[in-house]
Amino acid sequence: MIFSQIFETINTGLVVLDKEMCVRHWNRWMALHSQIDSSEIVGRNLFDFFPELNRPHFIRNCRSVLAFGHFCFFSQKLHKYLFPMPPAGSLAEEFDHMQQSCSMGPLRNESGEVESLYLSVQDVSEVVSYQKKLVRMNQTDPLTGVYNRNFMESQLAKEVVRCQRFGHELSLLMIDVDLFKNVNDNYGHQCGDYALKEITRRISAKIRQTDFLIRYGGDEFCCLLTETAPAQSLKVAELLRQQICDTPFLFKEHEFSSTISIGVAGFDENDVDVESLLRKADSALYQAKQSGRNTVVNTAS
Amino acid sequence: MTAEILNNIFAQDEKDILQEVMNIAFGQASAELAEVIDIFVILSVPDIQVLQGSDLPGYLCRELQTSGTVNIIEQNFLGKFAGQALLIFPSGAEKDLLTLFNQDQEFINNDIDMDTLERETLIEVGNILIGACIGKIAELLADVVTYDPPRLMAKDLCLEDCNKSPVAPDSFVISIRTVFRFEEQNVEGYLFLITNQKSIDWLKKALFAFLESFG
Amino acid sequence: MLKSILIVDDSPVARMIMKKCLPTDHGLTIYEASNGQEGVERYFSHKPDLTFMDLTMPVMDGFQALSTIKQRDPDAVIIVATADIQEKVLSRVTTLGALHTIKKPPSKEALKDALERATQALKH
Ligand SMILES: [Mg+2]
Repeated sequence: MIFSQIFETINTGLVVLDKEMCVRHWNRWMALHSQIDSSEIVGRNLFDFFPELNRPHFIRNCRSVLAFGHFCFFSQKLHKYLFPMPPAGSLAEEFDHMQQSCSMGPLRNESGEVESLYLSVQDVSEVVSYQKKLVRMNQTDPLTGVYNRNFMESQLAKEVVRCQRFGHELSLLMIDVDLFKNVNDNYGHQCGDYALKEITRRISAKIRQTDFLIRYGGDEFCCLLTETAPAQSLKVAELLRQQICDTPFLFKEHEFSSTISIGVAGFDENDVDVESLLRKADSALYQAKQSGRNTVVNTAS
Repeated sequence: MTAEILNNIFAQDEKDILQEVMNIAFGQASAELAEVIDIFVILSVPDIQVLQGSDLPGYLCRELQTSGTVNIIEQNFLGKFAGQALLIFPSGAEKDLLTLFNQDQEFINNDIDMDTLERETLIEVGNILIGACIGKIAELLADVVTYDPPRLMAKDLCLEDCNKSPVAPDSFVISIRTVFRFEEQNVEGYLFLITNQKSIDWLKKALFAFLESFG
Repeated sequence: MLKSILIVDDSPVARMIMKKCLPTDHGLTIYEASNGQEGVERYFSHKPDLTFMDLTMPVMDGFQALSTIKQRDPDAVIIVATADIQEKVLSRVTTLGALHTIKKPPSKEALKDALERATQALKH
């Protein structure tokens, strides 16, 4: 009596399946969130209602629980969800489906043999949403909203591995705002902040979704162009340079112009790691500065 | 040192029963695993050692004979027989496991990055392999075991640089080592079961009960 | 009726369990060997009616012992005893000439059935 009350009222989905994947029990939580009443589904094959579960991975786990009597854990990270259900309340804006953490375990008869299995379903959408927010915060620069250096380090390492493994092209633009200190000194820090935001806005508008813009330091930015050969990335860099110098900046009553210098480097087989690529881009940027700023310099030149 | 501790803890007849129980458990586990995961899997004859917790890193290093790095999946199990299972694969094996266990590309288009996919595959495969071995041991010794979720304890760990033991340094470790081999992919993994004094006391009784259940 | 049985297994406990589960009223003579090579030698020195063969053993494994005995004596009656009864193992030992396979640990019923099979095989 008490146990059946718990089964019905607990804030977790509970399902009991027999060896033929036939539903034996379906609690109220499952009924409410799936819109399938227990009277409809009990006695029927689970896959008739959820054909998406009829795949090797799910079946493998069921079989292993029945054979070995251990537990299986379906992580939200890998599965997102097992049972497609609408997310609760305002989380519907963020997720198409309720994010679930599910587990599975054996149920034994009196002689101790595994006869059926249970599935528990936990709604973890809120936790996942929070995690996503934390990850985003950890990866973005609060002022400009572009990626931060922390993100860049891990992303660049991944891209370099991908280049080595699949032979993809990869280019890196090291961007520095010319004489940025003057903007701060002449018009104040607020204006400096505005300039940085405006510069990232103009750059973001000209790069692809698959590229990454990173605020590398104070007035230093970095652009990762995936699957882009050096010749192509030179054109992109030139375009970005024009975007900044061609249109004057306007902050309150101040109108001023700004320019950027860009060092371009492409990943090649001589690059053993991230560092060597960064060094190349840095030295190209240094040359750009030396040759009078507002220029693009390629490593090769 | 190792043989000495083993002899102190188990008498010869206890050692022999333990060895045979493990032979049977791991043999049955490979047969049923082959059926469950549809992959031909070979488990080597289990090698049983007893050592001090602090000696474990050095022992792992010698046994695995790897100068490279490894991934370690850890899972605690709780029954009368209780302890910690460590499943160790050389770094890179996760890619082969992924090919082996994700043949129908179930997860490829699920906006999951490769890193997560490989990590989660290691954990899920680990869960099945560990569950199969522990499950069979428990069944033979008439025990019922529950499990904590497995976790990836170490990713790309260099054993040679690692002087920190994954278990308490002063604990006794029964290391039951088997080598998994998946024939299609040639992936090798090592399973170590680490248990405690209390379990050892129970284990001795259960071993004799097992023997007495025949005839 | 079977008169003699050879048990080849590296584990003394496995041999003990096997003996415990064999029927006692037959006046069976039981020989033992603790690896494949010893098994081959004992087989040819005693010529038992039935041989139980473990598979994983040091020195010489059960597959090799089985095939060595069957090559020299095609009439040898050998039943494999193994915990790992996956399809690939079964088909391999059948090809090598095993009469039957029993799962470890053996049950009394499985052993009784094995003895009957061996008795039938000896008649032919
Ligand atoms: Mg053996």
